[in-house]
Amino acid sequence: MMRKAIYITIICISFISINLYSQAKKPTLMIVPSDAWCIQNGYATKFENQGSIQTIPDYKRAFQENTDVLQVISQINGMMAERGFPLKNMESAIKTLESNSAVDNMMTSKSGSDTNESPIDALRKIAKADIIIQLTWTVNKVGPKRSISFNLQGIDAYTDKQIATSTGTGAQSFTAELPVLLSEAVIAHIDNFSSTLQSHFDDLFNNGREIILRIQTWQDWDEDLESEFDGEELGIIIEDWLADHTVKGRFSTTDMTESMALFEQVRIPLYNDKGRAIDARRYIRDLSKYLKNSPYSIPNKLVTKGLGRVTLILGRK
Amino acid sequence: MKHILKISLTFLFIFLIGTNVNAQRKKKLADKATKECKYDIECVNTGKKGSKLIKVWSYSKKKKYATSQAMKNAVHGILFKGFSGVGRSCTAFKPLITNQMTKREYDKFFDDFFKDGKYGGEYSKYVTAANDGNVAPGDVLKVDRKTYKIGIIVNVLTDLLRKRLEEEGIITGLSSGF
Repeated sequence: MMRKAIYITIICISFISINLYSQAKKPTLMIVPSDAWCIQNGYATKFENQGSIQTIPDYKRAFQENTDVLQVISQINGMMAERGFPLKNMESAIKTLESNSAVDNMMTSKSGSDTNESPIDALRKIAKADIIIQLTWTVNKVGPKRSISFNLQGIDAYTDKQIATSTGTGAQSFTAELPVLLSEAVIAHIDNFSSTLQSHFDDLFNNGREIILRIQTWQDWDEDLESEFDGEELGIIIEDWLADHTVKGRFSTTDMTESMALFEQVRIPLYNDKGRAIDARRYIRDLSKYLKNSPYSIPNKLVTKGLGRVTLILGRK
Repeated sequence: MKHILKISLTFLFIFLIGTNVNAQRKKKLADKATKECKYDIECVNTGKKGSKLIKVWSYSKKKKYATSQAMKNAVHGILFKGFSGVGRSCTAFKPLITNQMTKREYDKFFDDFFKDGKYGGEYSKYVTAANDGNVAPGDVLKVDRKTYKIGIIVNVLTDLLRKRLEEEGIITGLSSGF
């Protein structure tokens, strides 16, 4: 009787722990006006970069001066929230970054020391999300008639793949104001967009999360990816590890030289052996440990970007 | 006199039962047509937020059955058929239920969801007739000697329907699993 009670308790605890860890890491989504829209509407700045003129979008000015873009983003945000997937608001993210930056500048310890920030940290201080929803619209005019060409593109920030889309040109109108035409366009396209996004999530749950892995080497490291360990090249050893640990052995070796390797379409499981949700960093940490231990004994540094991009630099921490 | 009254009442009784049985049979046939997707569905306009304004073309030997079945066909169409975009004011719509169902699952879902109740079945919560249910003169077509094709414009509350299916676990929502 006592033994039965213990068994039941163990089963209950294991079910509870599985439930606690059974949620996959949720990607963040953010709507960003496309470069084309920003440049066409004059929300861009030009600067000279090593002799060539570059144009970059000025998002802050776009949000401050264009109410149409705010209306469209607000409407899409609302409709996605109704579908249980609230989006990150880019305007707020930019404001938060500015406020954090001001606080960081003023912050000192009691001994007068500043907070640590490497040049890489400074570069990474931008509004970001795992999936970028790129928004573009153009107003077409034929005589007095106007119509809207609308384009929503969901892009995976790590693999650069377009994972969701909805695009089309609405009906022509003599009388409707631009905000009305835009609102109609959002209503017409949001279902198709979320349906293609759903297909992407279904694929993610069936075939694992797709990540990108870069392998680099420090200049002062004596070995390289062609160095042999137990008669096998290091590059091949890493490929074998990936083949054994990816979902259905799926990955592509895009580049492999003596100093670097690039693996794309690496399908990683959403959960580890303990049932905990994992991302690219937690997943590649196992490869990092594998290379650190004997017989390879290769110290390495793991650098991550969000849920889906990792760089492993071999030779030193 | 009493004898004639008895015979008349018997005939009336048989006639009423016959009419009822005939109506039931026609209703079953109409339901069978819905179940087998024997209707056409096309987009009319973008519609309001969270809904689709569509025209449903139902086929029937009698006009009144095609009209009454249009609501069922509209909801069934949104669930299982979807529609292609027409012109520039309409975009294509994928059916809400895209995952494969076994025949048993489909029959059970259909029988429960499309069951006719006293105040309309479960499905009727998600559909309303546009134009007060009136049929435009050009939307009554005679396909052959016995069959009418009747087009009725209805408004289907797709967002509410999708939420209901998500709650039932029939389809997965965007945030499911995260």
